[in-house]
Amino acid sequence: MELSPGSVNLASLSLPQLRSLQTRLTSELEHLTTSHAKLRAAQAKFRDCVRSINDGVTGSESKGTTGRDEILVPLTSSLYVKGRLTDREKVLVDVGTGFYVEKTPEKAIAFYDDKVKGLDENLVELEKIVQAKNSQLRVVEEVLRQKMLSGEGADAGAQSA
Amino acid sequence: MDAQKKIQAISDEFQQLQTELEGLVDARQKLESQQQENQGVQSEFAQLDDESNIYKMVGPVLLKQDKTEATMAVNGRLEFIEKEIKRIEKEIEEKQDKSEEKRSEMLQIQSQAQQQQAAAASA
Repeated sequence: MELSPGSVNLASLSLPQLRSLQTRLTSELEHLTTSHAKLRAAQAKFRDCVRSINDGVTGSESKGTTGRDEILVPLTSSLYVKGRLTDREKVLVDVGTGFYVEKTPEKAIAFYDDKVKGLDENLVELEKIVQAKNSQLRVVEEVLRQKMLSGEGADAGAQSA
Repeated sequence: MDAQKKIQAISDEFQQLQTELEGLVDARQKLESQQQENQGVQSEFAQLDDESNIYKMVGPVLLKQDKTEATMAVNGRLEFIEKEIKRIEKEIEEKQDKSEEKRSEMLQIQSQAQQQQAAAASA
């Protein structure tokens, strides 16, 4: 692609070229931002799993869930039935692609913590890219504005008039 | 105008190639995310001790599976995905080459038409 940053002098581009570069950067940025939001959501889900294990399966003093076996089991998102926790030593973890692995709560928490950490690394990488794209976009917009203000914008206006 | 018609036809072909290319890129992206998920499962299986219970979701039921069996299934899937990615990448390359051809063809006809116009104007 001819638009790799740094190798092309932006000032040498014409107005339409700058505009298409601007739209491209904007759509790329949008795509990256949605990816970022998705990663954050996934991370929140894994954190929820850890919390559920800590509060529900292992039981926590402060929440008053230690040693209490009664739970409400969701049948649908709005319908629950009473249940009883019979096993606090084993949980079933979805490891992806339809496979579930039986783990101890400690191992399950380690698994989820690992996932959260991995996502954290991805998020940091992604943020760097978003920032770079953002500054690129700002530079392009700045050049575009200058061109519009200076002669070329007037020329283009005169031609289209 | 003859040249204009030609350009139109080539530009249509070019567009067609571009949409095909987009579809292929989408397919490759999907394969890549599948590959990542399977790699995650593979490394997870590698960490497990042999006694751990593994279940596979088949429709609405969980079936207990042997670790070696599950590992083999994941490895097989990864192999398949890798092959698919290679195949699609080759197709992407071909399409890119073709659309590059079309682009230069278009430019050639355009410049030819311009030269003819200039010649006609000066004559």
